[in-house]
Amino acid sequence: MEIWIYVGWSVRNGGGQQVNRVRLKAMLVATACAGILLGSLPIPAQVKAAGSQAKAPSMDLTALKSAGSRQAPITIEVFADYQCPQCRQFFLTTTQQLMDNYVASGKVYLIHRDFPLNMHSHSHEAALWANAAAEAGQFEAAERALYEKQDDWGATGKVEATLAGALSPADMKKVRTIEATEMGQIDAAIQRDLALGNSRQVNGTPTIFVTHAGQTTPLPAGGVNYPLLKQYLDYLLQQR
Amino acid sequence: MSATTTSAATTPATSRAAGTASVLLLIGRLALGGIFLIAAYTKLHFSGAWHLHDYHFFFAMAIDSYHMLPLEVVQLMARFLPWIELALGALLILGVGLRWSALLTSMLLLVFIAAMTRAEMLGLEINCGCFGNNEKLGPATLLRDSTLLLLAVAVTAGAFLAQRSRRQELRPQKLRR
Repeated sequence: MEIWIYVGWSVRNGGGQQVNRVRLKAMLVATACAGILLGSLPIPAQVKAAGSQAKAPSMDLTALKSAGSRQAPITIEVFADYQCPQCRQFFLTTTQQLMDNYVASGKVYLIHRDFPLNMHSHSHEAALWANAAAEAGQFEAAERALYEKQDDWGATGKVEATLAGALSPADMKKVRTIEATEMGQIDAAIQRDLALGNSRQVNGTPTIFVTHAGQTTPLPAGGVNYPLLKQYLDYLLQQR
Repeated sequence: MSATTTSAATTPATSRAAGTASVLLLIGRLALGGIFLIAAYTKLHFSGAWHLHDYHFFFAMAIDSYHMLPLEVVQLMARFLPWIELALGALLILGVGLRWSALLTSMLLLVFIAAMTRAEMLGLEINCGCFGNNEKLGPATLLRDSTLLLLAVAVTAGAFLAQRSRRQELRPQKLRR
C-alpha cells in the first residue's frame, strides 16, 4: 500500500523524479524483505488452533474414541455406523481380538470414526449418545452395549435406555448431562468424521483404513475378518 | 485328361463379410484384453502406489467378502487371479492362443457373474473386487460384467469360426475332371 502512496506522491509532484525512484526502490526492497521474513516465521501453534477452532467450534473427541498408543506403528481407523449389521459383526468378531493382540501390545492405534448412514433411522442418535459417553470416559462400554443390543434399540429407537442398562447410574447421569448441554459440539464432531469419510470416498460401513509408514490404504468393504487382517498386520509389522 | 484346382467359392460379398468379421474380432479382443489388463492393474496398483508385495491381502479380503470359499482357496485365488487376468489380457491383445484365452476369459467372467449374482441375492453390502478396492457391488457392476461376458462369448465364437474357415481354406482341394 505504501508503494502506491509513494507512486502517487511521485506522479503528483512531477519534479524530483530521481529522488522518488530511489525512495520507491527502497520501499520495494523493504516490503520484499518484510514479506520474506514474515513468511519464513513459523505460525505459533496457538494461532493455528484458534484459526481452526473458529471454523469448527467443537471439541475433538477422536482421542476419547481411540484405543492404544499413538506411537503404534500401525493406525487403524474404522468408519462405522452403530446400526449397521456388518459393523456389529466386525465389532463382535474382529475388534476384540484386535484389541487383545495388537492394541494392548502397542502395535496398533485404533480410532473409531462415526459414519451414521441416512438409511438407518437411529444411527445418528446412537452416535450422539456414544460421543457423550466418550466424553464421560465410557466409550468402550457404550460401544459394546450399542452393538450387542443393536437389534433392540434398532427396532425401538430406545438408545438412551440401552446405555442406561450398560452404565452405572452415576456414569449415565454424567452422559445425560453432557448429551443435554453439549449436543451441538458433539454433533459437530460427528459431522467432522462424516466429512472426513466423504473426503476419503467412504461409501459404506464399516470402512477401514490402515496407515503404516505414512501410507494410508482402505481395506475392501465387507471382507475384513480377523484371520485375514491378522496376516496383513503381521506382514506390515515385519516391514519395520 | 486335364485337372484344374478351384479354391473355395468366394464372392466379393462373402469376402467383405469375412473382412468385417475379422475387424470386429480384432476390436473385440483388443477391448476385452484391455479391460482385463486394467482389472489386473487396479488389483496391483491402488491408493496411489504399487502393491506388488501385499496386493493379495487386499484381494483376499475382497474375495472373502463373498462368503463362498474356504480361506485357503481364497488366499490362493487372491495370489494368482490378478496375474491370470494380466496374462489373459496380454494373450487377447496379442491374439496368441485366441480361442482358448477367449474361452477361459468367458468362463472366468461367468464365474464372476455367478458369484456377484449370489451376493446380490443374499443382500451382501460388499465391494465388487473387480476394479480396485472401492467399487461397490450393485446392479451396475452386474450389468457391466454381463456386457463383458457377451463380448467375451462373441470373441470366443469369432475366434473358433475364424479358425474353422482357415482350416477349410487349407483343406486339400478337390480335383475336378
